[in-house]
Amino acid sequence: MRKILLATALAALAAGCAHEKTSYGDARGVETVTNQFGSTDLQMIAEAMARSMQLSPAIASGNLPIVTVQEVKNKTSEYIDTRSITDSIRSELQKGGKVRFAVDAPGMTQQVDEIKRQQSEYYAREAAVEKGQMVGAQYRMEGNITSIVKEVKNTKDVYYKFNLQLWNIRNGLLEWSDEKEIRKTTTR
Amino acid sequence: MNAKLVFAALAATALVAGCATKKGFEQPGYAYGCPIGDQKVGSMNDLVKAKTAMEGRRTTIQPTEMRCTKAGDLLKIDANLNNDSSSVKRISYKFRWIDREGMRAAEEETWKPLMLYNNSNMMISTVAPNAKAVDFRLILMSGE
Repeated sequence: MRKILLATALAALAAGCAHEKTSYGDARGVETVTNQFGSTDLQMIAEAMARSMQLSPAIASGNLPIVTVQEVKNKTSEYIDTRSITDSIRSELQKGGKVRFAVDAPGMTQQVDEIKRQQSEYYAREAAVEKGQMVGAQYRMEGNITSIVKEVKNTKDVYYKFNLQLWNIRNGLLEWSDEKEIRKTTTR
Repeated sequence: MNAKLVFAALAATALVAGCATKKGFEQPGYAYGCPIGDQKVGSMNDLVKAKTAMEGRRTTIQPTEMRCTKAGDLLKIDANLNNDSSSVKRISYKFRWIDREGMRAAEEETWKPLMLYNNSNMMISTVAPNAKAVDFRLILMSGE
């Protein structure tokens, strides 16, 4: 009984002494914890795509074209939040000041709900938004991300290819397209 | 004799004028298309020194050439990085964007990892995130 008590006390002491340290890091630093899709990949893709798109004639014309964001298909074997990639691209482009964004399909329900709410009897008629005032997009942005994974005994190689396209909604023409490739190799 | 003198004077004038025209391609405050402000930049080496900074662990990778141009109202940059060592080098780089007042024109960029083969060059290209970014610094860090 005494032995059990002693062992329990020792285990508790050891657990208490196990030193855990937390520190803040650089959110924009190179992250190489594993070779799965990571923050550096997301940031590099968003930056490269937004910068490249700003040079496309459709955007560079200075007419503040209206773009809507559609799906980026994840064709890789791992889980990637592609919405997070398009959100970052959108933020980067928005800061560039050359594009305006129309509400996209996932945000439509919230947009319509808000219009309906403002048209209810609780709101002043003259200040409430009217139906039929939303502006449609001229371009839609869509893309896909694919990966090729090769693994042998001590080496794992991952190749990512992110492709983004800007389509003219009126005439169906592809106005711009670009790719970002990333290769990561892990050896044990 | 006089005719010879006049001819020589004319040739010299033409030469000077020719040189002046060639130098005139560069706008004041710019070198190789890159903004330099009041800095004295007489060569590509001077430009590279003025525009490059090392942060964190230093690397032996050096930019050897830098050229800038305007794409619409956005500054576009090409920088050639050279690895003259006999081993593969890994670095991280980013550009820092500066506005007309010398303030940051955009958020800090993400560090971008890059691998350079031994005895090789690699051209990195970028474009300013917005029209306010009229100047830049290329920041390098060893990734080893």
